[in-house]
Amino acid sequence: MTDATITGAHVAPRGLPRLRLSAAEPWLYLAPALVVVAVWTYVPLLQAFELSFYQWNMLPRSTPRFVGLDNYRNLLSLPDMRQAVVNTVIYTIGLLPLSVGVPLAVALLTGNLGGRLRNLYRALIFVPMIVAPIVAAILWRWLLNEDHGLVNAWLAGLGLGKVGFLSDPDVALWTLVWITGWKLIGFSTLLFAAADSAISPSYVEAARMDGASPWQIVRDIRLPLMSPTILLITMMTILFGAQWSFVYINALTGGGPLRSTTNVYHVMWEYGFKTMAAGWSTAAGMLVFAVFGLIAIGCLALMRRFAVYDE
Amino acid sequence: MTNRTNPGRIAAHGVMVALSFLAIFPVYWMIQTSFRSENEIFSGGLFPAAPTLKNYADVLAAMPMLRILANTALMAGATTLAQVATGLLAAWALVRWRFPGGALARSLIALSWLVPFQVVMIPNYVLASRLGLLDTVAGLVIPNAAAAFSVLVLYNAMRGFPREVVEAARMDGAGSLRILAEVVLPNLRAPLASVSILCFISAWNEYFWPLLLIRRMENSVVQIGLQFFMTQEGNDWGPLMAAATLASLPILALYLVLQRQVVDSFMKSGIR
Repeated sequence: MTDATITGAHVAPRGLPRLRLSAAEPWLYLAPALVVVAVWTYVPLLQAFELSFYQWNMLPRSTPRFVGLDNYRNLLSLPDMRQAVVNTVIYTIGLLPLSVGVPLAVALLTGNLGGRLRNLYRALIFVPMIVAPIVAAILWRWLLNEDHGLVNAWLAGLGLGKVGFLSDPDVALWTLVWITGWKLIGFSTLLFAAADSAISPSYVEAARMDGASPWQIVRDIRLPLMSPTILLITMMTILFGAQWSFVYINALTGGGPLRSTTNVYHVMWEYGFKTMAAGWSTAAGMLVFAVFGLIAIGCLALMRRFAVYDE
Repeated sequence: MTNRTNPGRIAAHGVMVALSFLAIFPVYWMIQTSFRSENEIFSGGLFPAAPTLKNYADVLAAMPMLRILANTALMAGATTLAQVATGLLAAWALVRWRFPGGALARSLIALSWLVPFQVVMIPNYVLASRLGLLDTVAGLVIPNAAAAFSVLVLYNAMRGFPREVVEAARMDGAGSLRILAEVVLPNLRAPLASVSILCFISAWNEYFWPLLLIRRMENSVVQIGLQFFMTQEGNDWGPLMAAATLASLPILALYLVLQRQVVDSFMKSGIR
């Protein structure tokens, strides 16, 4: 591989201009992608870092005013921010049963489900994944409507009282967790099922010969061999769960009632585009980026340490 | 494996039926509500007794739905083309040559995927407004013209391509762009299809950047158009469900036709 690549770059002994061009050649191919990433991700990241030390209302004619660490200090002492952080943790932990727990259990239980029906299940449980988030928000707003929604009608049929799924501060956050998770359950189930079916049947067969119980087979063979997928989905949920919830917060509750559903991403959006406090928003962004960056590094380390691969 | 006890099988089917129901019922409920007449909307029956298209007529009269769908298709199509093109070129550079800075370039592209959009949204918004991109479809496409995801998937796909074939083409005097277009590309159909499907669906469903950029209903994409409509119409459930159904129709139709490929491409590439 190395040989061929080196000759690729150095052959063309037909004079200097061609040689120079070939040294630049890979960069010509990389340029479009690199330029986009630089202009819309990395330069803005540095600008956001700089902006986090300024006070600015984002109006074109106003100049940002340097305030040092004030934005960070204010943020850390705001009750708003504390609530948002707590909620972010709840979103993340609340999503795990829906993105990992239930799908894993379902995949283990239905591991050797064959037949024509399997493809039908597969097609159906995947639908929420491709439904647009705003559509998911709208259809759940209708199903969970306090006065006329189907779910409350069913609850009434069971003799239970109405639930204000989006208006009761004790319930609203869990409603949004559910909607976020609803889109993921089927998808994770498919990923786990795929990981499970990739396990060589000979392992399971051998264990059974040795008299292993079904539970022992799950614990000692299937779960360990599925661990890369389990860790991957857990990591994705932790890193991105709170971001996935943003659209539902914004479209359904606006962070309310009584700030019960807001999270750090929604707070950043409010500071930035509702109250026009660019400094606060970017400072919050920097904190979020730093914390999630550390979590990402930690997750990758865990993954390297605990994932079991079938070599 | 074969002589599994029956109760286990039945339980497994039961669980899958329950999960399928949970997945599909809300979508079904949306669609059937959209066909209900005003005085039937709050009755809980499973089918509309007298199906009507009035809600759809109302939506088409209240918002430029067709224009919005066209905007979204244009935006998603252009984003897909751009991401596939920049992804192909970058992946080709990284596979074809080993050169100083190559590994760094690859890491920079890959790590860009870890930067949450909300962290860079204010500088991006300022830049977009300076460039006159507010409220335009171009403004929705340009920042998303390259994606770590498509570079990485195509990079992995190309790495498996036999080097001898590339060398043979080079001996024949073909330039690297021609080798990419005529030798490598025709053999990448499967990964290209799967990257395109994923880019298209994720662009179609994109919410956050349009939320910042789009001001007017007629320039909006479905996500934002629906959001406007939801705020305006409040609890007018019939038209709201009709709007949501119309917005989902193209993507559900795509899914119906390409179901297996869609599922496979999502599964091969993990969550995005």
